[in-house]
Amino acid sequence: MKFRRVSACVLATLMAASLMAGCGSTKKDEASGGASAGGKETVTLWATGSDNVRAIYETLIEDFNTNSEYKDQYQVELQFMLSGTGTQALTDMLVAAAKANRTGTDYDIVDLSGDDLSKIVSQMGTEKLVKLDDSKIPNAANVSAESSIAAEYVQPFRGTTVVLAYDSEKIQTPPATFEELEAWMKENPGRFAYNQPGTGGAGDSFARSTVYNQIADATAITSDDEAWVDEWDAGFAKLTELNEYMYESGGSHVYPAKNQGTLDLLNQGDIDMCPNWADMVLSQRASGALKDTIKITQIEPSLTGSFQTLAIPTFGSHEDGAYAFIDYMLSEQAQTILVHDMAAIPLIDTANIDMTGYEDVASLDTSKFRIMSIGDLGTKFNERWDNEIATLG
Amino acid sequence: MSKRLKSNLAAYGMVLPAFMVVMLTVAYPIISAVIQSFQDEETGKFTFANYTYFFTEPAQLNNLLYTLMVVFLTVAIAIFVAYLLALYLRFVKSKIAKTIGTLYLLPRFVPAMCAVYAMITIIRDSGLINRIGQLFGLNITLGLMYHASGIILMNLWFNIPFAAMMITAGLGAIPDSIIEGARDVGAGKWKTFTSMILPLSLKDVVIASTFVFMTNVGSFTTPYLMGGNAPKMLGIALFDQFNKYLAYNRSAALSVIMFLICSVSAGVYIYTNLKEQEWEK
Repeated sequence: MKFRRVSACVLATLMAASLMAGCGSTKKDEASGGASAGGKETVTLWATGSDNVRAIYETLIEDFNTNSEYKDQYQVELQFMLSGTGTQALTDMLVAAAKANRTGTDYDIVDLSGDDLSKIVSQMGTEKLVKLDDSKIPNAANVSAESSIAAEYVQPFRGTTVVLAYDSEKIQTPPATFEELEAWMKENPGRFAYNQPGTGGAGDSFARSTVYNQIADATAITSDDEAWVDEWDAGFAKLTELNEYMYESGGSHVYPAKNQGTLDLLNQGDIDMCPNWADMVLSQRASGALKDTIKITQIEPSLTGSFQTLAIPTFGSHEDGAYAFIDYMLSEQAQTILVHDMAAIPLIDTANIDMTGYEDVASLDTSKFRIMSIGDLGTKFNERWDNEIATLG
Repeated sequence: MSKRLKSNLAAYGMVLPAFMVVMLTVAYPIISAVIQSFQDEETGKFTFANYTYFFTEPAQLNNLLYTLMVVFLTVAIAIFVAYLLALYLRFVKSKIAKTIGTLYLLPRFVPAMCAVYAMITIIRDSGLINRIGQLFGLNITLGLMYHASGIILMNLWFNIPFAAMMITAGLGAIPDSIIEGARDVGAGKWKTFTSMILPLSLKDVVIASTFVFMTNVGSFTTPYLMGGNAPKMLGIALFDQFNKYLAYNRSAALSVIMFLICSVSAGVYIYTNLKEQEWEK
């Protein structure tokens, strides 16, 4: 009985304390929102993605705040949301803020993937994004890459594409086309895996590319028109056919969760090939997390890639600071950091960037990128994949 | 004001903040989830469709049965092993027993994510066991990864120490005099166990079972990293509905279903506890 009373007291105190702590932190947020550090304007950058995205932004922001030409005027702060952790997605937060007609928020700059951008554009239109003035981004003159949608409202700063990662110890001549890849799978059953769509972009890209390769109209892949859903049957039949050549464990064919899931299998020698992000493979190889024998190659028609872009919402508070950061991101200084720390595909001329160790990156031609943006159809796609392909066993 | 009333008021005052927090963060979301689960996704009108989906779609029904299978096996094996361990720790007085008694709780202090990855590194088809086998020319592929057996193995790792801890506490409360008494009237070891130790520790076994059951119904990390693609455990199925398909009403319905499954177990727990209070009188 005594124990119960004591524990009730402790609990109550804790709860009360956490309540107060909760109030306290809100106040602190409000205070720091508009405050400036040492006369410098604080610009907030919002980004989402895997942990490597957080790491690269921390490095870049550190460099911007201490080494860039803008260091005396602006100070950038990162708000990062790890993808797939069940937190409210950045896109949802932006759409909510836009629909609530909020102004003066701290959404000063947002980092958007191709998919996120198409979601935002379809849900809130482009009118809530600042139409970018190139005269405020001098370095943009060196970048030719353009977003496939809302090109005037977003600035691409790095490329990213899914490629085939393979173990060169086991495969001397990797497949060059999708047909060759298919033939290879059939000759080597159980040595290929792609991750479950919906758990990582590499698996999404492979499954969707396979399905859209069966659709003659090349514009289908950049459309979120419901009509294309009816055209998926041939592609899903292909995925069904490929199922029996996939990696097998515990008596059934397996599609691991997350990009890292397949990459681990490849590194451990459970499989010899898998689709994965070029930057993920190359940066992990550079850090020694992956075997040196793991290489990348692109097939024809290629797996999908996209440009990572920066946008300035109209409901943010520091437009000039946002422009400054975007300009910095296109500088040789920042692009070099992106290549070296992330194996990202630079969008400026690589002549002045030291590409030693990242020659693979230079070989990926951004002008040949196959951009995919099927918007909300992706949700339907994943559901159908889960119901039809995952259950094949 | 009587002293009793005063102390009662003080107690309520102290519990009030906790109570309010619970009402706001637990009761309110539960109520709104229940309401949402009966609403149509498009029109918001009353419907049972969100529930019938989980009991008529073969894939979803399989998920439900699969989850129950994994959880019941986990509970049965974990409790059995934990009981043996607890008996050993209670009745064997040796150095080894003492050492095990200190070490067996260690898994509780390893973060779940690290533990799961450690287990994967060992049991995967190209893992530690396979590599040791290869030194002797054997190719051991356990097939535990992406399979229910792997999930159960991992669940045992987490739950045996926990269950053993609860049962050990229960067994520790059985006075030696009772056992000596049974011995004195001529009961053998087996008889002492079945008529004395087992009945006296049954309550702790039931409580440990309910806890193991509840924590595993909604488990996520282990099945996400170690489970196959289909069938899935309900935690993953819920994640799919909510994060992948953005089907919020169906997610609400599945949450309610999971809540009901757990509440059966919670009911058993409360019943067992109430019984004790009557016995205390």
